[in-house]
Amino acid sequence: MPASASPIVNDRLYRFVRAAVALVLTGVIVVGFLGNIPQLDILEQSARNLYFHVPMWFTLMVATIISAYHSLQYLRSGDRMRDLRAREAARLALIFGLLGIVTGMVWARFTWYEGTGKWWNFDPKQSMAAVLLLIYGAYFVLRDSIENRDARGRIAAVYNLFAVVTMPFLLYIIPRQLPSLHPGGEGSPAFSQTDLAPAMRWVFYPSVLAFIGLFWLLYTQRVRLAWLRDQLRDEPEL
Amino acid sequence: MTIHPLSSDTAPLRQLRQERPDTTSAYDSTWTERPEAQAPEGLDRIMGTDGKIYVVLAVVLLIWFGLLAVLVRTDRKIDRLERELDAGGSRDRASRDEEA
Repeated sequence: MPASASPIVNDRLYRFVRAAVALVLTGVIVVGFLGNIPQLDILEQSARNLYFHVPMWFTLMVATIISAYHSLQYLRSGDRMRDLRAREAARLALIFGLLGIVTGMVWARFTWYEGTGKWWNFDPKQSMAAVLLLIYGAYFVLRDSIENRDARGRIAAVYNLFAVVTMPFLLYIIPRQLPSLHPGGEGSPAFSQTDLAPAMRWVFYPSVLAFIGLFWLLYTQRVRLAWLRDQLRDEPEL
Repeated sequence: MTIHPLSSDTAPLRQLRQERPDTTSAYDSTWTERPEAQAPEGLDRIMGTDGKIYVVLAVVLLIWFGLLAVLVRTDRKIDRLERELDAGGSRDRASRDEEA
């Protein structure tokens, strides 16, 4: 391995994703604000939030699945890096989830609930998302409560695998059984022709990919950092 | 507060009252609840101007601040690591393992 290469990540892949994310996200912000969208009642221009609020949740989903994958690998191999990867992915999942819930609160407060002063409206998806964030918050509480490193890794990994199976239920299955201001109650929006205007798809899909890419960059940075700390801890002479 | 299911007699009523091009009505939501709202004032009025574009601005700024917070936290971790590295082997291992 050349001396300059990172042991954690493929440098060329990382640089490529970084450039792509910078380019695409810039485009998403510009076109997101300036592009044409259908004019709808209530929503009006705030429909543009689709490009920013919804990718938060797609990113959370990807992050939780990555986290669970590494937890599974940790249980199989006992490799400490897997535990660190699971932890960092879960941490970013929590951050993107918090951003998703806060942006959703602001969107609803000034759009559907304009003039009511309601910051929290107990929309089923909103409430279930809050439950999911509490479940992932508990993952970190659990981690911090265990002193022994190996025991902590194993118990947290098992908990993480239980946490990830709640994700589709809390974000998809349960909210869609209930009337909500989120789409999807009428069936899967993925197969619906009228759920998303064609012009918006070309901003929305790149935005989802760009935010997932951004997650991956932040995640990789933190894993590299965690690896460095881990190395430092093992070699007191370093 | 409860969210009422879509009732079939209120939806067409809304469609009648509001005129808009047919090309966009297909994308409209089925959300039919009408919360009792006062005339918008203060924050609501600012957010409601220009077709609620400020709601989008607020959302984008929130995400931006969130990402900035991640940046700062990662920076702090790097700082701590640098200091640890600076201290070198002079630190005893016991205190290090505690931080894990």
